[in-house]
Amino acid sequence: MNRKLAPEFKTIDKIDLIPSKEILLSNQIPVHIINGGSQDVVKIEFIFEAGVCQQNQALIASTCNSMLNEGTSNLSAAEIAEKMDYYGAYIGFATGRHDASICLYTLNKHLKATLSVTEDVIKNSTFPEKEFQTILQNKKQKHYIDHQKTEILAREKFNEFIYGKDHPYSNLVATEDYEKVNIELLKEFYLKFYTPNRCKIIVAGKVEQETIDLLEQLFGEKNWPTQKETNDSTHKLHVFDQKKTFILKEDAVQASIRLGRPMVNKLHKDYSKIQVLNFILGGYFGSRLMQNIREDKGYTYGINSVLVSYRNAGHFCIVTEVGADVCKDAIKEIYSEIKRIREELVPTEELKLVKNYIIGDLLRNLDSPFSLSDGLKNNLNYNMTNDFYKQFIEDIKAITSEDIKAMAEKYLMNDDLYLIVCGPEKSREAIL
Amino acid sequence: MIKFDRFTLDNGLRVIVHRDETTPMAAVNIAYNIGAKDENPERTGFAHLFEHLMFGGSVNIPNYDEPLQLVGGDNNAWTNNDITNYYLTVPKENLETAFWLESDRMLSLDFNEKSLEVQKNVVIEEFKQRYFNQPYGDVWLHLRPLAYQKHPYQWPTIGKSIDHIEKANLQNVKDFFFKHYAPNNAVLVVTGNIETEEVKRLAEKWFGPIEKRDITPRDLAVEPEQTEFRSLHIERNVPYDAIYMAFHMGKRTDSDFYTVDLVSDVLSNGQSSRIFQALIKEKNLFTSIDAYLSGDYEPGLFFVNGKLAEGVSLEEAEAAIWEELEKMKTERVSEYELQKVKNKVESTLVFSEISYLNKAMNLASHEILGNANEINKEVEQYRAVDINDILQASQKLFRKENCSTLYYHAKK
Repeated sequence: MNRKLAPEFKTIDKIDLIPSKEILLSNQIPVHIINGGSQDVVKIEFIFEAGVCQQNQALIASTCNSMLNEGTSNLSAAEIAEKMDYYGAYIGFATGRHDASICLYTLNKHLKATLSVTEDVIKNSTFPEKEFQTILQNKKQKHYIDHQKTEILAREKFNEFIYGKDHPYSNLVATEDYEKVNIELLKEFYLKFYTPNRCKIIVAGKVEQETIDLLEQLFGEKNWPTQKETNDSTHKLHVFDQKKTFILKEDAVQASIRLGRPMVNKLHKDYSKIQVLNFILGGYFGSRLMQNIREDKGYTYGINSVLVSYRNAGHFCIVTEVGADVCKDAIKEIYSEIKRIREELVPTEELKLVKNYIIGDLLRNLDSPFSLSDGLKNNLNYNMTNDFYKQFIEDIKAITSEDIKAMAEKYLMNDDLYLIVCGPEKSREAIL
Repeated sequence: MIKFDRFTLDNGLRVIVHRDETTPMAAVNIAYNIGAKDENPERTGFAHLFEHLMFGGSVNIPNYDEPLQLVGGDNNAWTNNDITNYYLTVPKENLETAFWLESDRMLSLDFNEKSLEVQKNVVIEEFKQRYFNQPYGDVWLHLRPLAYQKHPYQWPTIGKSIDHIEKANLQNVKDFFFKHYAPNNAVLVVTGNIETEEVKRLAEKWFGPIEKRDITPRDLAVEPEQTEFRSLHIERNVPYDAIYMAFHMGKRTDSDFYTVDLVSDVLSNGQSSRIFQALIKEKNLFTSIDAYLSGDYEPGLFFVNGKLAEGVSLEEAEAAIWEELEKMKTERVSEYELQKVKNKVESTLVFSEISYLNKAMNLASHEILGNANEINKEVEQYRAVDINDILQASQKLFRKENCSTLYYHAKK
């Protein structure tokens, strides 16, 4: 046996996903069903067009979403919690840029009980004052703690530079915003946006006919009639002219770096190519940035690049925390890697590795009904289904080294990049 | 219920196989029975630093990550006070690549200065990022030595201080490898869409030729029983005061482990739990609070940690926690409340069995503890706990002289 020789392997060139099926409740609410898995459990997510983009002032969408769990006309906050815990169920709340969701994880044997509580939370929330004060206070304290972190400060400034201070994609919250939220505003938002016409449902796990019947019974026309349509406000992007800044955090021992730019989103024809470019540069452990800045220089515990896609915009960003004394050198190395990918063709072997890694990553991340439901939630944002991944894999397979170089020349010119550094005084020189 | 097959190679490597047909992937998890507790008190943080060096190339394969990524795999590892755990996932067709890579780094590493120097820097940056560049990040550097005076649990996995990491040299690395990394000191678990026969063939082929090594039996310092209350006050540049309480408890394999776990659930698992309802929602004394156990293999700790709401004093907050703990000692929990936490545990176990990787890790840690099959007895163990058990465990646990408290003051 020759241990120096790698065993033969198979390149994965397609993946079989559990397909989703769409049906409509009697009031036209779409229900997407992903049926599979080994455990007798189900995840039901109710997604409303009630996100940050729908709010007229900071904190309304997320506070409204958290408050759903804090009391209904039938149950107090404590009673809701008691029931969910008793049945071993979990109910999660999340607010995104374009949507807000309520997500139930439950054993199928307790579905009836836990789904009725979920129904109550969605339809009959009352926003009690005492619970509101507690939630707001806790949010505010978390805000203060988060703003001690260099990575948060750097991230917010970066968002402000590429989307604009008031754009919902930046989602910036100022301390005084906490004083401006009140129950009336939350109720108004709730009545306007948590309606059947703004709702879609994704059901994943072991889904029985009974599950669907129950959804119709609780959320169909009879118990939840359609309401008058409301219009969403539109938002203008406001990109900064200034491209570099330093934020002083005196007692920090590391500096947080963000280097990136506005980027096309998932719907753009270049997206697959940019995604491969992103992986090569900083999207996995073997990436050039990780190998250079961590594995060769030891400047950081980790460095990544990310491609973020929203419905109407997106961004690309390199993110890391480095020792304050090596901040300048780290940034120099980041720019040199960007230059290299712009000027030199990616070697065939490296491109092959990255393609295999990306497809393996999809196979790994889309192997269960729950993870497929997360993917579907994202794709529905663009009026796509998980068929997106099939096309994505075909696109990836066709990409050449020339394509990557062309993308880097088009999207990664130094003059287009924004640089934010947050750290102690000695890291200031890094942006000069 | 997790069905599995098991066998042991002649060199002592224990192998466990669990088939899960719902995934196109396979997971390979290797747990080595070596953790931060096995370190020299003057050279702490070494087990974790060593974990980093395991990715620096092995005797026949210069780069660990690249060949794995080429076949669509991904990997990571973690170290705690008890064990060091390496795991990877690959498309099931490429399982052999995993055996090739993992067996070579069990055989021997490519010990080199460059990798050591770089990884020392990486770990120092990790130390800074997690412990010094985060508000409240340094808690464990202070609470552990307060609670443990003799036992090696007194330092966190990352180490006592950065200069311990700076001191590591290549000879330490070699000695450590041959002392602790061996087939007879490890457990290999393979889960996913695979057959036991195939795993057996691959294990014999790749791991079979590795020789057994001499493993010195553990002889850890014993922690004397705590007899008086300990406290420490520190002041940092954070926005709010916080309190961290640690109570000594038994080890993971003690029969009352499951009882103590349910005690923590009554107190703080879920929004209906006692301290969440009383201290956050009703009295508004805390903005976050949690009670949980370390789950350590040796006698461990039960923690109650909370961040105080603005305007609340540490005395007031501490008294309110003790009031809840006293209730656990003097009043029986109701049948209903006990049933609730048991239901929640059962549900959590069902959900945890969705992930083939999760199952691999859990099987490995149970096997290192003694027997992987214990994983299938957990539900019964939880079910068997009764109201008196909860009362007695609370009385044993929540004594002032069994408690170490760290008062974390916000600099005004």
